Amino acid sequence: MWAYILRRLAYNVPVYLSILLLVMLALRVRDPVFGRLPKNATTADIAQKRVELGIDRPFHQQFGSQLKQVATATFDEISWDYPGQTVGEVMSRCIGPSLSITLPSLVLTTLFSITVALISAWFRGRALDKGLVFVAVLGMSVSFLVYIIFGQYYGAYKLNEWLGYDVFAIYYNPEVSNAGWGEFFTSVWPRYYLLPVLISVVVAMGYDTRFYRAVMVEESARDYIVTATAKGASQSRIMFIHMLKNAMIPIITRVVITIPFLITGSFLLESYFGIPGMGNQLIVAVESGDFPIVQSFTAVFAAVYIASNLLTDVLYALVDPRVRLS
Amino acid sequence: MSTTTTQSSEAKTTTRELALSVQNLTTSFRSDRGLVTAVSNVSFDLFKGEALGLVGESGCGKSVTSKSLMRLLPEHVTRYGSDSKVMLGSDNVMKYSNREMRKIRGNRIAMIFQEPMTALNPVFTIGWQLDEALRHHTKLNRADRRKRVVELLDMVEIPNPDKRYGEYPHQLSGGMRQRVVIAMALACEPEILIADEPTTALDVTIQAQILRLMNDLRERTGTAILLITHDLGVVAQTCDRVVVMYAGQVVEQASVGDLFHNPSHPYTRALLQSIPRSGKKEKGKRLATIDGIVPSLLDMPKACRFAERCDCRQPQCDVEMPELVNFSGDRSVRCHFPVHK
Amino acid sequence: MTNSSSDSRALRKFLRHKPAVVASFIIAAYAVVAMLLLFTNMITMDDTLQRVGPETIPGFSSVQNPEKRLEDAEWLLDRIDTLAGREDPRAALDSFRDLGVRHVAEIPIEDLQQRVEEGWEIYDRLAEVEDLTAAVNGTLNSPDAPTGEVVLADLQQLELKLDELLAPMTAKEKSTRWFEMLFGTDRQGRSIFYRSVYSIRVAVLVGLITGLLSVTIGTIAGLLSGYFGGWVDNLITWLYSTFASIPNIVLLILLAFMFDGGHIDEPLNRWTGGLLKWLIGGRLDETLIPVYIAFTATFWIGPCRVIRGETLKIRELEYVQAATVMGFGRTRILLRHILPNVTYLMLINFSLLFIGAIKSEVILSFLGLGVKKGPSWGIMISQSKVEVINGFFWQIGTATVLMFFLVLAFNVLSDALQDVLDPKHV
Repeated sequence: MWAYILRRLAYNVPVYLSILLLVMLALRVRDPVFGRLPKNATTADIAQKRVELGIDRPFHQQFGSQLKQVATATFDEISWDYPGQTVGEVMSRCIGPSLSITLPSLVLTTLFSITVALISAWFRGRALDKGLVFVAVLGMSVSFLVYIIFGQYYGAYKLNEWLGYDVFAIYYNPEVSNAGWGEFFTSVWPRYYLLPVLISVVVAMGYDTRFYRAVMVEESARDYIVTATAKGASQSRIMFIHMLKNAMIPIITRVVITIPFLITGSFLLESYFGIPGMGNQLIVAVESGDFPIVQSFTAVFAAVYIASNLLTDVLYALVDPRVRLS
Repeated sequence: MSTTTTQSSEAKTTTRELALSVQNLTTSFRSDRGLVTAVSNVSFDLFKGEALGLVGESGCGKSVTSKSLMRLLPEHVTRYGSDSKVMLGSDNVMKYSNREMRKIRGNRIAMIFQEPMTALNPVFTIGWQLDEALRHHTKLNRADRRKRVVELLDMVEIPNPDKRYGEYPHQLSGGMRQRVVIAMALACEPEILIADEPTTALDVTIQAQILRLMNDLRERTGTAILLITHDLGVVAQTCDRVVVMYAGQVVEQASVGDLFHNPSHPYTRALLQSIPRSGKKEKGKRLATIDGIVPSLLDMPKACRFAERCDCRQPQCDVEMPELVNFSGDRSVRCHFPVHK
Repeated sequence: MTNSSSDSRALRKFLRHKPAVVASFIIAAYAVVAMLLLFTNMITMDDTLQRVGPETIPGFSSVQNPEKRLEDAEWLLDRIDTLAGREDPRAALDSFRDLGVRHVAEIPIEDLQQRVEEGWEIYDRLAEVEDLTAAVNGTLNSPDAPTGEVVLADLQQLELKLDELLAPMTAKEKSTRWFEMLFGTDRQGRSIFYRSVYSIRVAVLVGLITGLLSVTIGTIAGLLSGYFGGWVDNLITWLYSTFASIPNIVLLILLAFMFDGGHIDEPLNRWTGGLLKWLIGGRLDETLIPVYIAFTATFWIGPCRVIRGETLKIRELEYVQAATVMGFGRTRILLRHILPNVTYLMLINFSLLFIGAIKSEVILSFLGLGVKKGPSWGIMISQSKVEVINGFFWQIGTATVLMFFLVLAFNVLSDALQDVLDPKHV
């Protein structure tokens, strides 16, 4: 198995290099200097700025420097938008807020979706199943943005008005970033993060439920289910033991694939609720042309993505007795 | 195919005990084109220790019949006739609740299926799956169950049963898997084993082994076997009596010897004639077939369902539905003009 | 068995699926509207940009609150006043189309100016009242405030004066006006009806072009890499992995940004814009080209992965091996045996991508990167955030509803297509 892992990693090296290359080239299509200098900048000013930003160096040097940061996992280049802060520092302060949304969201969505999918599969073809699928399709036909806007309006603004006190904050308060762990879990998270998490769960459930349902329905049509019924197993045993263990394979695959997205954060949610997470930061950096941040964030993400792909394959081999890694 | 048949003539003479009695079984399905009746008024008896063959071409309703006996058809679209009875002992299985049904499945009646490659759960070991049957229906403890599983594997002639206990289905060949399935079915010593085309998906040599195995087990344990097949050769080798089905109905019932030597129903006669023969006499002759096709379930004739393809067709056949008539001992036939010799 | 009998069987099965048939009609309706928008002047870009009434008027209503009426009157008076003071007042007033279909009446300038003065008098009176709504409701506690009836009477008089300034509407103009105000106006007084319907144009264009390009490129890549294997497969898989390892949104934004105002943008626009202009006469909206490129580059990987997988499977099937053994050239096998068997996947992916494109446009527009010229549902939704805080849901509601039906129709359609065409679908 280790041979397989090493081989896969080796194979992915050219891919990773090309990702970095693609991102860095794409960024350099637009000259970053002009946004950062006043209109009447002289040529000397421009040249100096270029040195300051480090883009006067030949491209392969810039590429090499970025690669080194990734390889040693020390992101010490200085962010252009936050002078004095390294990219590493920016990342570490942004990852917390992002995870506070994405991690609970993943857990809750998966739990709820699997439950709903099980219900749907149990009553397959009947009114409840059709109803749930229908609701899922309806839900998927509305833009995420609309859910956020209405969620913010009714969930925070209107709810607070109706109850008379602030249950959910409409917008993030930067001061709470410094809260200690205890305070974080009891008062900061519910007030600032719960609503975005709920919105995110509602949106994601439509897609996940349909996928899990399809997996379960496919499994429940298999011959071994009939065999189990003929042996006298009850429906719940068939569903939760026989079918679920088979269905777990694609389910686990899907959950693991989502892991990289835990660190990107949902930039829409972060943007609307003012949460200082990775997603929001990344988009801001793209727009303002903060090369170090964009490059390093993308580099980290791509690495996690490739790693989780590999993890999926390994897990597959562990969970499904039929699979042998070649 | 050899034309000699095995007969256990002793089984015919003295008192025979009923294992299962099917009376007026009618099974219909709700579809978006209305109620479709796959099995109409099927009746037959299965006696203890015997092998009864249920024969017919694809789509004649034999699988639906067998699944109806164990109520394995999807609940909310299946409708049974109001006077359909399946008597196991003195109980009507059709009236059983789900719970009671689960108690007899795998316990008093067991079933094995056509596709051994997909019949076993791929993510559990053989041992676990056999153990499950025992866990559900017996009160044996873990150690005893393990012993019994190894015994069963041995009984179905799987070499190295101890090692096989921890193996997964994909590690076994098709023939092996079918043996495991048989072992699973016989684990709790059922009174009845329904075998739905158990050898169709296996090659001929394995087929012979499996059939022999089933016969041996039947003789040893006294389990009655309902063997469903379309292969007359298999019937000849294994069964004591035969029930022939066509288009959802029973058209003939007889002992194996009577059926092959004196078929009464035109369909049975045509079937036997269409079996390819070898030998000098047969050289140059065309293969016999039965013209026409089985009528669609949505469009069944009101009178004799075979009339369209029958070579002894008479006007009455298109007007009146023939009844299943018992005309001698074990023999019944559903025809206005059966051949009696 | 020929292809046509299985095709017609699939078609009949599809037609029996009632929701799918309804969905197809809905999509066709949207397509027709998009065609009309593209090739006729049913609703022009100007219609979506000009002010047709006071700001944030709710739809379906003819009753406005007093403040709005006053605001509207002020704006009208002010515009007419300004235009009448221009060098060529008549010409200026004639060109005043900013109130939708309405236009200034043909009365002599002096008359006009006098009426405007009279209007200002009434306006000034009303402007002094602190809270018009309260005054009308009788809840204003100010000693020298006029009573409710007086305020209303004043407003009515003001509006009558304005009516005199505006030419009476013909029957056709009346009905057009009804449409203009049907869903209300946004914060700049523009007709929500016009804007949301005009957005169908963008949605269909983006969905169609992106979908076609992505599916085409993805299919070609998938077929080549699946069938030929070897270095072709390695190359395409490497390309695919590269794009797939960057989160969708990041890639979209990076590319949209890249093509947006950078060095590539103008020459590319000019080059393809010229080409497209020549082809369609400028209707395809060259400013959307960054969007097309960004979407296609992000979405091609979906079809590519699926088609490659299917090609790998089909390649091992007996009839392909038989064709190879019979000596048929590889291109012929690819085109005659493999391609027809992946067509259903192309179709299904197309409808899924269409939806993806529309939804992604909303997100891009939220960032200001998507549609530049004219309205789109994304622009409307992102602009409506401020309005929602004040309880005004007409802009976001109309855009969402129109988008909802199109997306829902495609969802239902793609489900039905999978049901009918994919033998393994549940």
